[in-house]
Amino acid sequence: MSRRTIKPIRIESLLAALLNVGTWFAAIVIAGGLVLSLSYQRTSFLTGAPIVTVGIGIFVLLPILRVIMMLTIFLKERDYQFAVVAAIVLLTISAGLAIGILAK
Amino acid sequence: MNTGTELWLFAVSLGASALGGMLGMASGIFIVPVLTLWGHVDIRSAIGASIVSVIACSCGSAAPFLKGRLTNVRLAILLETATTAGALTGVLLAGTIPASYLFFIFGMILLISAQQMLAKRRDPALASIQSLTCRSTTWRLDSSYPDRALGRDVAYRVQRLPMGMGLMYVAGLISALLGIGSGVLKVPAMDTALRLPIKVSSATSNFMISVTAAASAGAYFVRGDIVAPVAGPVALGSVVGAILGARLLMSISNERVRLLFVVVLAALAVQMFVAAFGRDWIRGIA
Repeated sequence: MSRRTIKPIRIESLLAALLNVGTWFAAIVIAGGLVLSLSYQRTSFLTGAPIVTVGIGIFVLLPILRVIMMLTIFLKERDYQFAVVAAIVLLTISAGLAIGILAK
Repeated sequence: MNTGTELWLFAVSLGASALGGMLGMASGIFIVPVLTLWGHVDIRSAIGASIVSVIACSCGSAAPFLKGRLTNVRLAILLETATTAGALTGVLLAGTIPASYLFFIFGMILLISAQQMLAKRRDPALASIQSLTCRSTTWRLDSSYPDRALGRDVAYRVQRLPMGMGLMYVAGLISALLGIGSGVLKVPAMDTALRLPIKVSSATSNFMISVTAAASAGAYFVRGDIVAPVAGPVALGSVVGAILGARLLMSISNERVRLLFVVVLAALAVQMFVAAFGRDWIRGIA
């Protein structure tokens, strides 16, 4: 019983750390890209737009990483029932990406 | 895209997100109407920008709920199979639905939000204490959360899972179609079907929003439907606004603010209907 009360705290603090760091990272990249595009736009065609796109990409990737992290933790805990659930969510998101690429 | 536009997008998203955050709502519900009605941004670009800001806000606000043990992560990942399946359906439908229909559906969602804001939310877990006979044992979802007001852990059970999954599928579908977090549809799913304590359902729903949104945002992103000069300032403004909104929530949340929001939501709904059908249609029924 004591093992079960410790585990959820561990998974939750790992997820919290990932989402926190990821949000800051993506926000800083977008902010950097925006500042670049604001300062360069009068002098040349070089803009920060590609950097902003990278920042947006990090935001899109962040929840996917969160699901991968949960899948890994469930596998380590030999909680195969929930590992399958996490894998299904991951497959569904991948299907969305595949649809996006095919429809391009 | 010039300096003014970027700053305008940033400021508007900050405002919309702060406003949403004050009442514990997602920012997307304000961002799409503001971008389309006032910013004259194409509705599909607005939806693409909004879905990124939805991810940003959900990820940015998840940590305190997780650390406070309010988020039920096992329930979240299970319900996400339904929300992401709904989002996938939404992605497939999105291209085939005309813009005027999107405006109309959005108007309806705004009206439902206004109605929900008017009706006070009861804590469903308290109302259902006597009906705890049906257990969700096969999934081991029942848990407990620390309640600061009571000073102890409160145990709760997850009920009517199939109905909850069905409602979550619809929430995911609407999220992908309109670029919103669909909190407005997750609330009934959490309250009437699963009967979770309010704090647990808010935290869990917020946690799920980012993964639901990623299922559609991923597709829109690789398809090239997300316009960086619009989505960038909007996402950044939303994150900052969400932080401010959460602070303001503590100080000025009261009945008057609630009523103001009901009026704002209803007014936006009318404008979305006008955008959907054109002014002639509105004159026709008036």
